[in-house]
Amino acid sequence: MFDILKKTLETGSQTTKYPQIPDIAPAGFRGKPELLSEKCTFCGKCTTACPPGVIWLAEGDGEKILTLSYCGCIFCGRCEEVCPEGAIKLSGEYELASKTKEDLLTSIRRKT
Amino acid sequence: MNREFIAALKKEFGNNILDEITSLNETYLTVKKEANVKICDHIYHHLDIPLVSIFATDERKKDGCFKIHYVFSLDKGDAFVIIKINVDEKSPRYNSITHKIATANWYEREIQDMFGLVPVGHPDPRRLVNFEDWPDGVYPLRKDFDIKTKPPRVEGEYVYRRVEGEGVYEIPVGPVHAGVIEPGHFRFSVAGEPIINLEIRHFYTHKGVEKLFENISLDKAVFLAERVSGDNSVAHAVAFCQAVERIAGVDIPGRAKYIRVVLLELERVYNHLGDIAGIATDVAFAMGAAHANRLKEEILQLNEKITGSRLLRGMNTIGGVPRDIGDKKDEILLTLSEIQRDFRELMEYLMSIPSLMDRIETTGRIYNDTAKGLHVVGPVARASGINRDTRRDHPYAAYPETNFKVSVQKGGDVYARTLVRADEVCESIGLIEQALWSLPDGEININIGEIPDGYALGYTEAPRGETLYWVMIENNSIVRCKVRDPSFCNWLAIEYAVLDNIVPDFPIINKSLSLSYSGNDM
Repeated sequence: MFDILKKTLETGSQTTKYPQIPDIAPAGFRGKPELLSEKCTFCGKCTTACPPGVIWLAEGDGEKILTLSYCGCIFCGRCEEVCPEGAIKLSGEYELASKTKEDLLTSIRRKT
Repeated sequence: MNREFIAALKKEFGNNILDEITSLNETYLTVKKEANVKICDHIYHHLDIPLVSIFATDERKKDGCFKIHYVFSLDKGDAFVIIKINVDEKSPRYNSITHKIATANWYEREIQDMFGLVPVGHPDPRRLVNFEDWPDGVYPLRKDFDIKTKPPRVEGEYVYRRVEGEGVYEIPVGPVHAGVIEPGHFRFSVAGEPIINLEIRHFYTHKGVEKLFENISLDKAVFLAERVSGDNSVAHAVAFCQAVERIAGVDIPGRAKYIRVVLLELERVYNHLGDIAGIATDVAFAMGAAHANRLKEEILQLNEKITGSRLLRGMNTIGGVPRDIGDKKDEILLTLSEIQRDFRELMEYLMSIPSLMDRIETTGRIYNDTAKGLHVVGPVARASGINRDTRRDHPYAAYPETNFKVSVQKGGDVYARTLVRADEVCESIGLIEQALWSLPDGEININIGEIPDGYALGYTEAPRGETLYWVMIENNSIVRCKVRDPSFCNWLAIEYAVLDNIVPDFPIINKSLSLSYSGNDM
């Protein structure tokens, strides 16, 4: 009994006050991919490289739309690797919980 | 060993062997369909060679036949012997070997569900993977089954074995469990507290992984392999990559081999720490569980720092590893030395608590002959006196250049399994240190390009045990990928481990076997 108390006091508190105090991911962490509309050329390389197929390109109404769904994203970083323009970057953001699937879509568009 | 072995087999069964192909350490012997029982029985019982997998392929386009492969592992000579039989499309039946070799039980039932090949004389021909609402005559792994097919649901019934008698009660548990765990059905028959029979039913999370492999490109398949069994990601990815690299006949750079060892062992450490924490939880020793979980979390955070993923994902590719971890060497070594010190203290402490020892000693015993008969693998097998470890018996990556000892216990109980895992944690930390100290310079991956047509095995020792991939490639795409997760071998052992134990001990027995639902169901 005394041992348990001693060990517990020695170890101290191991948890943090998350989410009041944000927990910042280390450098190199592969989190939420961000699309950068100013760099993107809408070439579609990321759409074919994506293993779960959650990036897609659509054309219509005189514009091109690149959409990414975080629903099925596996954060592998292949889109970032294949992008010749550096228009997709995996960020350190990981808080992605949402009530609807639509909230988990992100898209960029450009007039053709 | 391999050559002598094949020569001896040929002498014994010369007229039954139709064809022989050797590539790397694998020898494929095509034998007459009627001779499968005789030959497999001879290899298994007479020569004492374990049967590690059975799988089928649909090669009807080539010669109108399905093929069934029986994979035997020659542990002493680092070789595999694969006995093949041809099963004609017109009479899709072959002789079951289950009555001679119990290990074959689930494999033959799986082949029956997936390919519609009937094992004649199987003692339990019920469905295994497909449920009763799946229509007859629809076989998902046949080549003419399109992946987008949605078969209609039909009425059907699954009959459980029943134990009857005065005072015998049935306790059905699952498939929905308390807590965030995966689905599986357990049907206990009890007389008072002791369990007199347990029947398990799984495959609720069957996702058609093997079919998916056949429909995605090679570069994406690595990511699928990583997700077959979530906490054994590295072991699966490495096994898959090694199979493809063996087909391509390339040797990956030395640095990549050492990095793979570091990753594989980090995975083993965090899995074993989690299992030890689980055992402490299940005997209601919260303080021990908290400490083991703290250590596991430290490893997960270390993983995140060095690879960007807590579960070490995205760290393998065909031809090597995509990211280097060599620059984080000091950080890894420092964290591991602290963890090792704390872990030793924790284990000494856990083993000195009488109320914990009382719960785990003699509980959930798997006897050596049962373990051998079911071909149990991994730490569970080693705790039942089976001295097998893929890292030593079929060395891969940088394991041939490292020193480690394989921990074997004879008890077969929860205590023995805990001891094996504790030893393995320390050995793994030692392996990571060795690998990092002798990390060679150079490239971390090579570009393989087009993969020639062919097939090969890939194997690793996952934290749960021997993991096997058999990959067949044609025109640079996957034609067949058979995945044999360790849990597929170990699940049936639980039916034996719980016998004569009381129902409240089931959770710790289950935890001590550390079984994966997802890897098993696929």
